[in-house]
Amino acid sequence: MTDTTATRPVIEARDLKTHFQGRTGIFTALAGVTPPVARALDGVDISIREKEIVGLVGESGCGKSTLGMSLVRMYQPTSGSITFSGDDITHVEGRKLKDYRRQAQIIFQDPYSSLNPRLTIGQIIEEPLVIHGIGSATERRAKVERALDLVRIPAAENIHRFPSDLSGGQRQRIAIARALVLEPRFIVADEPVSMLDVSIQASVLELLDELSRELGLAVLYISHDIATVGYICKHVAVMYLGRIVEEGRAEDILAQPLHPYTQRLMAAIPRMDPGEVPERVELRGDVPSPMNVPPGCRFSSRCPYATELCRAVEPDLTDQPGGQRVRCHIHDDRAAKARPELERPQAGRITEIEDAGLLAQTAG
Amino acid sequence: MAPARTRSPALARDLARLDERLSAKPAAHLKVNGLSIGYSTLRGRFHAVEDVSFEVRAGTNLGLVGESGCGKSTVVKALMGLLPEFTGISGEALLDGQNILGLSDAQLEPIRWNRISLITQSAMNSLDPVYCIGDQICEAILAHEKVGKAVAWARAEEMFALVGLPAERLYEFPHQFSGGMRQRAVIAMALALNAGMLLADEPTTALDPIMQSQIMSRIRGIHEHMRRSMILVTHDIAVVAETCEAVVVMYAGKVAESGPTADVLERPLHPYTMGLQNAFPRLPVRGQPRQPLISIPGTVPNLLLPPSGCRFASRCPFATDLCRTTAPQLHTVGAQSAACHYTERADEFRAAAARPETWRNMRVGA
Repeated sequence: MTDTTATRPVIEARDLKTHFQGRTGIFTALAGVTPPVARALDGVDISIREKEIVGLVGESGCGKSTLGMSLVRMYQPTSGSITFSGDDITHVEGRKLKDYRRQAQIIFQDPYSSLNPRLTIGQIIEEPLVIHGIGSATERRAKVERALDLVRIPAAENIHRFPSDLSGGQRQRIAIARALVLEPRFIVADEPVSMLDVSIQASVLELLDELSRELGLAVLYISHDIATVGYICKHVAVMYLGRIVEEGRAEDILAQPLHPYTQRLMAAIPRMDPGEVPERVELRGDVPSPMNVPPGCRFSSRCPYATELCRAVEPDLTDQPGGQRVRCHIHDDRAAKARPELERPQAGRITEIEDAGLLAQTAG
Repeated sequence: MAPARTRSPALARDLARLDERLSAKPAAHLKVNGLSIGYSTLRGRFHAVEDVSFEVRAGTNLGLVGESGCGKSTVVKALMGLLPEFTGISGEALLDGQNILGLSDAQLEPIRWNRISLITQSAMNSLDPVYCIGDQICEAILAHEKVGKAVAWARAEEMFALVGLPAERLYEFPHQFSGGMRQRAVIAMALALNAGMLLADEPTTALDPIMQSQIMSRIRGIHEHMRRSMILVTHDIAVVAETCEAVVVMYAGKVAESGPTADVLERPLHPYTMGLQNAFPRLPVRGQPRQPLISIPGTVPNLLLPPSGCRFASRCPFATDLCRTTAPQLHTVGAQSAACHYTERADEFRAAAARPETWRNMRVGA
């Protein structure tokens, strides 16, 4: 692929699980009822190399942000491992955790609420340096200026301004500068452009792309705006209900997806050119609750091709001839061979379509 | 989908009468002429909307696009009579010939929800958390129609079936709904009285693509099924391309360009429309070279002190001294019109606007 193939991954997660314990009342606890567990992240493998931007897409509630936050250890993973440049950091605490966080940063979605309105731009960007006890005041000032320079914001005129003086795009650049000032090697960008106007999205995406190459950053780009992913990511992973269902090269995933879920996801995106509008089969219902994960394939409750096999056996993520990896029985016959009594799903054979409302039918 | 619930014959008869009465309402026609809206602030007059004119023909969809802060939502609020008191509004908005601007609450009562209804931007905040959804829909029906609560509830059930929600969930409260379901509930509410004109203010912003597609297919369904007129406010031009016959592109409170959607997207006349199109992320198409994503440098001008010339001049790569001093008039080319001095050079501009250098080079000055 590229020159980066040879390098070791900066960050690597193996079978990562993050479960959240639900709450119980005192009576149910006394009655011995175990509280429900939300399996937000349920066995994810991902690795990101230097200078690589990996895209992570999926519906709301599929665990994208949980993965991002688990990777930077804002959540404590329940099981699995996270390796950061060769060191296992899954369970590190105290000093070591602080050291890790210096190298792994996160950029949040909303630049209006992620910046403290009472601090100046200079103070906001300096804060991580102060927390980590880096440099003297003058050295810190130089680092702040360098970070502002990296995000193309003139330092001299902006360093004493407040976030309220800046536009959305500028604020998001400040949030990126704050993440960069510690010179991290890994950044999670959690929906960094979805709150920004279309006219300025491109410049923030471009900036991320350039920074990743210039500084050798590994970036996890999380977004539900799938079209943007194609512009900066070489590799894309699609998540559904806490698991990766398909991954591969961005152009393959976006233009020729194999998993029925990815196909629906791509078809759902509005197109500007009427000639490109695909035939849409509406995906009914919502993502099932992570507290109540269906047995078998997680997508089987919404998949038009689902058969008994899908509802009984969860497929593995398997390599496909084109280089994609897909978690679907249509593209993997091993489970069907092991359980020949169950009907195997086939592409193009829709088993049932529950109608999703009168208007959806007439919309055609 | 609607479960064959056992309704008493009397209820079924009343419901059928209500349905018949409501579906007899014609689609509305709306003509907005020279609408200007200004707020008085401590720092002076804020010109949120200036001299905006457009027309929604009966039974058609009009897309209102532009970036945040360009006055799209202000126009919608003015049409619903939701702007704060003492807002300076001039111009007229003729709903089937009747001016609906500047009416008192009492005068608005028979119009709101009955003839013009609103699908709000944030369904999260527009539903009352202490009433169940069914009661909220019934409230709207009972306020305008002389029917019993049972009939109103039955009508609400029909509306829920229409948007693909199970009737039992009418008894639930907004917090029990997911974001997409809430948005659908708000659509059901806006449809409850079958108003001739629907205003949809960013109905899918912040929803993921699957939810967006579900909501938009319902909104398109309304159009096909019930032939209502609609104004769809959005910043997503692809949604407009798929949904609306006509489009109005707003920039900094003014109309930059308007016309039939296909024409405007195929042959934009205004450099802002060109820029917006090139900044819009698209999915790759196999075997086709990918257009680079180009952002528009700079920001929307401060509307407390709007620039004297063209409002887009500070961000336009083709701006001349004329643009910076004189505000352009709307020039009509075929069915389209654009507020640009150089509409006759649009072909040349379009070719240049597709090149990233065109916009990047001016970044120095901006």
